[in-house]
Amino acid sequence: MIDSERLARGAVIAAPAARAGRGFWRESWEELRSNRAGMGAAIVLCLLVAIALAAPAISGLVTHYGPTQQDLAHAFASPGRRHWLGTDELGRDTLTRLVYGARVSLGVGFLTVAIALTVGAAVGLLAGYYVGTLDDVLMRVVDVVLSVPPVFLYILMSILFRPNAITLAVIIASIGWAGLARLVRSEVLSLRTRDFIVATRSLGASDARLILHHVLPNALPVMIVAASLSLGQVVLIEAALDFLGLGIQAPTPSWGDMLSNAQVYFVHSVWLVVLPGCLIFLTVLAANVLGNAIRDAFDPRLRRA
Amino acid sequence: MTGYVARRLLTAIPVLFGVTLITFLLMHFTAGNYVPGLQLDPNLKPSDVARIRANLGLDRPLVVQYLDWIGIGALFKAVGLAGALGGSRNIDPGILEGNFGRSLIDGGPVLASVLERLPNTLELTATAIVVGLALAIPVGVVSAVRRGGRLDQFLTVASVAGFAVPQFWLGLLLILLFSVEFHAWGLPWLPSSGAVSPLGGGGLLDRLQHLAMPAAVLAFFYLSAWSRFVRSSMIETLSQDYVRTARAKGMSERRTVYVHALRNAVAPLVTLVGLELPGLVSGALVVEVVFGWPGIGLLAFQRALQYDYTTVMGITTFAAVLVVLGNLLADVLYAAIDPRVRYS
Repeated sequence: MIDSERLARGAVIAAPAARAGRGFWRESWEELRSNRAGMGAAIVLCLLVAIALAAPAISGLVTHYGPTQQDLAHAFASPGRRHWLGTDELGRDTLTRLVYGARVSLGVGFLTVAIALTVGAAVGLLAGYYVGTLDDVLMRVVDVVLSVPPVFLYILMSILFRPNAITLAVIIASIGWAGLARLVRSEVLSLRTRDFIVATRSLGASDARLILHHVLPNALPVMIVAASLSLGQVVLIEAALDFLGLGIQAPTPSWGDMLSNAQVYFVHSVWLVVLPGCLIFLTVLAANVLGNAIRDAFDPRLRRA
Repeated sequence: MTGYVARRLLTAIPVLFGVTLITFLLMHFTAGNYVPGLQLDPNLKPSDVARIRANLGLDRPLVVQYLDWIGIGALFKAVGLAGALGGSRNIDPGILEGNFGRSLIDGGPVLASVLERLPNTLELTATAIVVGLALAIPVGVVSAVRRGGRLDQFLTVASVAGFAVPQFWLGLLLILLFSVEFHAWGLPWLPSSGAVSPLGGGGLLDRLQHLAMPAAVLAFFYLSAWSRFVRSSMIETLSQDYVRTARAKGMSERRTVYVHALRNAVAPLVTLVGLELPGLVSGALVVEVVFGWPGIGLLAFQRALQYDYTTVMGITTFAAVLVVLGNLLADVLYAAIDPRVRYS
């Protein structure tokens, strides 16, 4: 197999297939590692994930409050010794709730991207590979999904399902897959006529083998870039739904829901407005910067010589 | 050009049908068996509820309800098959005839309540788009011209950051600062919600005061997105041969950049702005909710929570039509600006 990535982008040297294939991934990885902003963002994201995973431990060992535990005597406390980041209207510990909120944001975020990518890649591969009726039908479905303003669909579905974390991810992914499908399809369309695919087919490879072993690996960079760029958007959408009261239901703490509460009480405590928003901002920022870095790493045209 | 437009319109038709179908099914499964207020009223016997539902036409098969809603019912009636659709109803929809039905909450025509809110939403989003564009073009051009410089780096960071700020949070922070804190400090403050003051409002200054914060939040978002686009488009244009030619023949840098390159660099922006046209209606939903701005987004949100599904279906379909038309308009405009598209 000839490494189509390099051929496609007009690389001069056509190295022996297998080694060049691995070389593309290694080069991209080296490129990513040398991108300081990207690695910084990756570290921030890893920290956030670690915090989310360690939420029960942090609650038990550091803050000594549960995420829904009330301390009415100390409602609207400012940051201090007793409550490091203060409390809300019911005296619930803000730091504990923020830490638990990370579980919702990141959990729903990663799950959504995984679902949307799986569905979008499957549809894109099928539509792009089997051009014709199947392609037409699938792409009209994509057109339809992309034509309804997503906000309305999110609202309708959230009212329909009264979501928990998993249904919320399914809801957001049920629209997110369409854009990914369109992207993967156009990549597959250009791959399927390449010499190495035609050559492999003439050797008698089955469609399944061609799709899974030859088209998919070569469409992978596009998928990875699109998926990593969509993570930030998904986190924003999820937070907005929580804020509107249509996402994760109280008392489960989520950043969006904390902000929607704070909207009522921000005369009493500025912290309640500032802190959850900062965390959403930080998460989305890290995801977007990492996404940009991954895109740059995969694009040989942007590589330094 | 006419053929191109006609072809695009034709492909839009099945898409619009698909949109109405999705909306209808979603709404049906969300609230199809629910009529607002009915189930909660203890004085109503089950037989009454059934009668009201029958009056609303909700006892008919799903397919019939759908066809009736989009307005094929009129066709049936015209050929004398009205009986097939099942009896008289209070809701008499037919989107194809421009009739979006009546609200289940206040009984008023859906289209009327949408059109009543439309000017508010347009006021907000159009202001934001104009302000966003007016800032994005100079910011993008300056970044491109001083590519890699301090200013460019700062603007790049700012726009990446701007892209990551949740709109509703930015809105809350503005309210916190300009409404709450300014008020507390005894400074002139901005009203935190609504489009006009309830008492004696409606003057130009009053409207502008209400508009300032929500429009700023939206404009900031457009600015972050579009200034990046202008920057990369300008950088690409500046590397073109004709720019080099212009420089080589001794044209001033100012004229090269601002007259020759700018025009071509900004042209693709038309597509992006065109893609925002549906956002004129739906893009502001979250901002409208934060600022209690009485636009279409707030209407859709409130009515969805009340299970007023005729209104929500109407707004969603209305917005979807705008998406399709917006995409079409963007393509046509682009073809009008860039002859290469037209003749290929």
